[in-house]
Amino acid sequence: MMRNRMKTVTFIGLYIFLAVALPLAWLSAQEGMTADQILETLTETMNPEQSQGIMTMTIVTSTGQERTFKYETFSKGQGEKSLMKYLEPQRVKGQTILMLNDANDIWTYFPKTKRIRKLATHAKKQKVEGSDFSYEDMGASNTFTEEYDAVRLNDEKKEGSECYKVELTRKPKSSAGYSRVVMWVEKEKFVPLVIDYYHDDDPQLREKQLICSDIRLIDNIYTPFKCIMYNKLDNTQTSMEIIEVDYDVDLSDDLFTEMGMQR
Amino acid sequence: MKITIILSIMIISASAAHAQTADIFGYFEPQYNGIYFDDTYYQFQSNKLRVDLKSTAIANTEIGADVIFLLYHGKKNWNILDFLPEAISSTIPPQLYPFYEFAYRDTLYLDNVYARFALNRFALTVGKQQISLGTGYFANPTDIFNTKDALDPTYEQPGHNGIRMDFLLTQRLSLMAIYSPIEFDLKNSGKLLRMKLGLGHFDFSLLGSETQYTVTDFYTFQTSTQRRRMLGGDIVGELLGMGIWAEGMYSFLDADDDFYEFLIGTDYTFESGLYAMLEYHHNALAKSEFENYDLNDWMRFFVGETKTITRDQAYGLINYPLTDMLNIGASVIVGVSEWSAAVVPMVQYSLFQNVELTLMGNIYIGEEGTAYSNTLGNGAFLRASVYF
Repeated sequence: MMRNRMKTVTFIGLYIFLAVALPLAWLSAQEGMTADQILETLTETMNPEQSQGIMTMTIVTSTGQERTFKYETFSKGQGEKSLMKYLEPQRVKGQTILMLNDANDIWTYFPKTKRIRKLATHAKKQKVEGSDFSYEDMGASNTFTEEYDAVRLNDEKKEGSECYKVELTRKPKSSAGYSRVVMWVEKEKFVPLVIDYYHDDDPQLREKQLICSDIRLIDNIYTPFKCIMYNKLDNTQTSMEIIEVDYDVDLSDDLFTEMGMQR
Repeated sequence: MKITIILSIMIISASAAHAQTADIFGYFEPQYNGIYFDDTYYQFQSNKLRVDLKSTAIANTEIGADVIFLLYHGKKNWNILDFLPEAISSTIPPQLYPFYEFAYRDTLYLDNVYARFALNRFALTVGKQQISLGTGYFANPTDIFNTKDALDPTYEQPGHNGIRMDFLLTQRLSLMAIYSPIEFDLKNSGKLLRMKLGLGHFDFSLLGSETQYTVTDFYTFQTSTQRRRMLGGDIVGELLGMGIWAEGMYSFLDADDDFYEFLIGTDYTFESGLYAMLEYHHNALAKSEFENYDLNDWMRFFVGETKTITRDQAYGLINYPLTDMLNIGASVIVGVSEWSAAVVPMVQYSLFQNVELTLMGNIYIGEEGTAYSNTLGNGAFLRASVYF
């Protein structure tokens, strides 16, 4: 009897330990995370091994005009390979963008002329269909860890959630399009809630701001279903919304080829 | 014409019957041209309707077709001799003038109709289809099927009858073979083989082809054909942060002298969004001294038997997204040895979701007889593209 009670106490103790002590230790460990660790965890969270989805992108100009694009996306290798195929509007339907090597190699396919054109790295600075997103914003999965030096600043509350605040400064020989990036990463879900992008030539001039919301758990991956990019210089904005997404997919490498673009 | 109409009706009827698996789409494109030529202002309008059908009802198979309706208004009849230098046109006897007239006639035709069977690493496309080759922007020396309009080089090209096979050997190594039949003449039918390889940030292509080569004498209107074998290649990639590409070919002719053609280009996007491109094109088939251009040089260029009149050309393009909806830019084509040029300012505006306006001008700067002589007339067009 006594032995059983002891067992019960031991199990309760173990449960309390697991339920309270471990998360506290985990939180404590999290609190001690460096900027690089935060970025690596964020990059892993935001770049699942494979994904397939349908998204919309709505551009709002300074005069209030709107243009909406719908496209299908595929990615593999934690975003190292990605392919975007426009579904709407008719003007661009079938146009496809293939990005390999973390968007360091970009090809575009124009169905109207059946022509494939390879773009050089500088094209990453170009706007995608006139939106406030550049090819670099859309495609690079590891830009933050590869192209920037990171420093952790004091944690802050942003969009109603406790966040890590991390400042990224472009490495001296990097060709990244922004001189400085400041981001607020939600502590539990490791999803960026706000990212401020600073001008290529002026680290004090905030060029764009990305705000993400509507975070849902899909296949055990936290996913922001809505992100809005505000262009602070042009006074325009572009919102991207996920209509459907699936991470439990098995995509063939053949999809991420010139032949795959024409399918 | 009747056959085309029947085919069009059949295609549209068939697509309606399979509406759940077939897409019908296309565009309507009215275009207004203003031309100032020989101290006179002319108007010329065209209304183009392209109706596309695409069906994927059968597994691994895509059936595509498009019908183009073209209606013309305004100044539809022209005589090419009016555009040529006095020194050339004066040599043509007046009774032969009608042979150099051409007219824009209302047309209805099936531009593309093909079936594409695709497996993971193999695709077979049979029928009349668009084919584009080469890395050049304003000209493609290796493209034996098309000749680009240097003033509007990205405009769609017509379909070509052929059988095309694509093989994906590895992720960045592919093989393409095209057979383009000419009636029942196997020997002179078009054959092309291209291997494309990706290495690092570069794509390389090597190709060989055999086609029928046509040469017309426009003094006598006698046409002769001979076999043309071509070896060519292209490369695209980047160097020091700038995009670079090159394309070239050498042609072996059965009867006439061999010739070669090459193009090199570079581009860059500035942080402001300004895009700049520069290309240089050399066509050994063309002459370098404009005083030597004759009737055949001009006519062979007009009908597409040769890609340029002048041997060396430079092409520059700038484009800037002024707003999310408005792009402005300009291109300039320079005849290097003769110092003539065509300046082409352009504005593109997204009026609505599926409506795009294009305003493009052409201003020729060059003395009479040069490739871009100011006597060729200046003009502009306003084009609306309405997609459905």
